[in-house]
Amino acid sequence: MNPAARFPEIAAKIIKEQEFVIGPLAWEEARKVAGIQVVDEKKGEVTIQDADPKGIIDRLVAQYEKIFGKASHAVCHDAVKDILAQMPPEEVPASLR
Amino acid sequence: MSDTDTSQDEFKKITEELYERNLELAKLYKQVDTLNKELATANENLKALIKQRESLVHLVTHKVKGAFTRSKYIFAGMLDGSFGELGDTLRDMATKGLESDNTGIETVDLVLNADNLQKGNVKYEMKPIDFKQIVLEKIADKKIQAEAKGLALESDISPDGTYAMLGDAFWLREVVNNLIENSIRYTREGKITVGLSGGDGKILFSVKDTGVGISDEDKKILFTEGGRGKDSVKINTDSTGYGLYSVKLIIDAHKGRVWAESEGPGKGSQFYVELPAA
Repeated sequence: MNPAARFPEIAAKIIKEQEFVIGPLAWEEARKVAGIQVVDEKKGEVTIQDADPKGIIDRLVAQYEKIFGKASHAVCHDAVKDILAQMPPEEVPASLR
Repeated sequence: MSDTDTSQDEFKKITEELYERNLELAKLYKQVDTLNKELATANENLKALIKQRESLVHLVTHKVKGAFTRSKYIFAGMLDGSFGELGDTLRDMATKGLESDNTGIETVDLVLNADNLQKGNVKYEMKPIDFKQIVLEKIADKKIQAEAKGLALESDISPDGTYAMLGDAFWLREVVNNLIENSIRYTREGKITVGLSGGDGKILFSVKDTGVGISDEDKKILFTEGGRGKDSVKINTDSTGYGLYSVKLIIDAHKGRVWAESEGPGKGSQFYVELPAA
């Protein structure tokens, strides 16, 4: 699988895991991140701009961490660890290494 | 640091704390959810198992009991001369065959009764009865069986007790029968004493023997479904583990208590049944 194709999945998994902790607020915060477009909140579908997908994921993680602290960073990491394990290290966004 | 900065810091701290609490709750929710799913699976497996068990009982009813009954009548026919005169050897074999079939039918009935009692299929006919009468009948009934084994069957019935109660005579007969028969089975030598006393609104029935006794390990499973004691199967290979289980179900239905006492293997046993008097 093309690693770039993984980024929308990574974003969606992070948002859904945050939703599990903080509810709909997770989607509101995700919408504030430039480059993320929420396609269907109920189905958990998002798209990511092609230009800098790793940077977009980093900003999404930072968006949650800015408000909710370090614990939220750990939640982001745990949400996608299975996907990250299958990616080449250089493709993993810096915030999730 | 300005007041605004301080309150913003406070707000962030509170938000982070709330997030951490929510996270803990979310983790707990996930654990509960996982356990619920496991429980649902276990429940499904249990339902399947109960269905299998019911179908097994069904099979026992129609096939095994039917087979025993058919061969019982063949042996009975041989013994009553329906198939002509028998020689001594054949007569002896037919007698043994009939006894074996009777044991088989009794065993099947025991399991079926336990199953019906457990499922609540038994409708108790609670009527005023004299429990002493049931005990006396069964003592008379079992005396020959005990004496044939070289055992004394004694009774210790308090003459001034009151034994009137509300109960189902058929099933209480099963209880008395089962407990006395068990004692005969598990006693190699000595005696069996059937006791009965009544007063203060209670009837106490007991069966004491000088038999093999009960180990602490076996005591724990004595009245459970299929609870065949490790030591008991050495003495009684026909043990089904449903006799005492049925006794408990019947006594529970009569709002009574049943229990066993023994000082250990080789030291005899005492079984007690306490029933409410009328």
